[in-house]
Amino acid sequence: MSIMSYNGGDVIAMMGKNCVAIACDRRFGIQAQTVSTDFDKIFEMGPKLFVGLPGLATDTQTVAQRLKFRLNLYTLRENRAMKPKTFMSVVSNLLYEKRFGPYFIEPVVAGLDPKTNEPFICSLDLIGCPMVTDDFVVSGTASEQMYGMCESLWQPDLGPDDLFETISQALMNAVDRDAVSGWSAKDYVIEADKVTIKTLKARMD
Amino acid sequence: MEAIGHAGTCLGIIAEDGVLLAAERRNVHKLLDEGYFSDKIYKLHDNMACSVAGITSDANVLTNELRLIAQRYSLQYQEPIPCEQLVSWLCDIKQAYTQYGGLRPFGVSILYMGWDKHYGFQLYQSDPSGNYGGWKATCIGNNSSAAISMLKQEYKSEGVKLAEAMKLAVKVLSKSLDITKLTHEKVELATLTRDGNSCKITIMTATDVQKLIDEYEADEAKASAEKKEKEKASKS
Repeated sequence: MSIMSYNGGDVIAMMGKNCVAIACDRRFGIQAQTVSTDFDKIFEMGPKLFVGLPGLATDTQTVAQRLKFRLNLYTLRENRAMKPKTFMSVVSNLLYEKRFGPYFIEPVVAGLDPKTNEPFICSLDLIGCPMVTDDFVVSGTASEQMYGMCESLWQPDLGPDDLFETISQALMNAVDRDAVSGWSAKDYVIEADKVTIKTLKARMD
Repeated sequence: MEAIGHAGTCLGIIAEDGVLLAAERRNVHKLLDEGYFSDKIYKLHDNMACSVAGITSDANVLTNELRLIAQRYSLQYQEPIPCEQLVSWLCDIKQAYTQYGGLRPFGVSILYMGWDKHYGFQLYQSDPSGNYGGWKATCIGNNSSAAISMLKQEYKSEGVKLAEAMKLAVKVLSKSLDITKLTHEKVELATLTRDGNSCKITIMTATDVQKLIDEYEADEAKASAEKKEKEKASKS
């Protein structure tokens, strides 16, 4: 029984044209038993900066809180919003601090630069190795299924509506093939002037 | 305490629907680089801000520490730190510097404004000894005693809204500052209000501050004109 699949959960982030989207499933379970169906794994860290934390649920909560701590102090001291790339380094640092007793999460960061609105996505492994891509990043118990779905569905330069459709289809179909993920999905589409949050009812199992 | 007495004035006033801090900006030098957005007023947390008077370097260390204390509380309890606890924690640190170690105390007095769900809007003042008190309106820094006596006369504790309090702040500042004319460059004004379920800390823009000053000056001119009328009427 792997610790990364004890609670189950997945997150995808995709790059679009001047926008990014990040989506997660909402199941919280203890091995085979589902405990809650509104456990979001995506946290807002800034007006245009989101982080998804799939993996062990307790670490999801703790890391989200600790990240907010570091981000708040940064914002107070520097008097400006943190860039997504910088945030990636903060996550990486936080995770590597626990190199020999890690947090069991594999985060995904998605956001727009606060000034230039340039889109940014990246994922990290549980000890903080960052990987920046310009198409999509996936993380979670159904990662193989998600890779397959994203590889087939994603195209460059999708607008916000198309990106929403693509990421929804990719996530929903991937989690449907995974026993410990699912129970509806939550999508965030982040554009320069707004963030659209949609909850999708899929196979509720 | 001496350094604080010569430092730029800061005053704070509690109103029914908010708190405000007003500070005199001393460093208005032509050659000074305008990197800063706020000289004397610091945001500490979503629900608290402070203004300092005294040795700036000491103030920077303390505001940093205040921010850390607030964040640590927030991390542990997942809710914003109650105002008095933040003040009291820092004052414990300040007091330690007066009793242990052979270090010198921090030469700063701080005015804190904040909101919490236990006591609503609050205003606190702390000094280098580590003493702190809760106030409805107070002032620290240069000419603070003159400002406090004026506040004592003019402050009404019931039914004052933030807008009125802002006018009062401008009035007190202009009468107690050393300079002849008040301009928006010399004053920093910040307010803390509740917007639904969250706190809002706003540092007023230069134009808004100037508007307040202009309003005050217009009122003053009207008041002195009326006085002159009365004197003329009573003489004739």
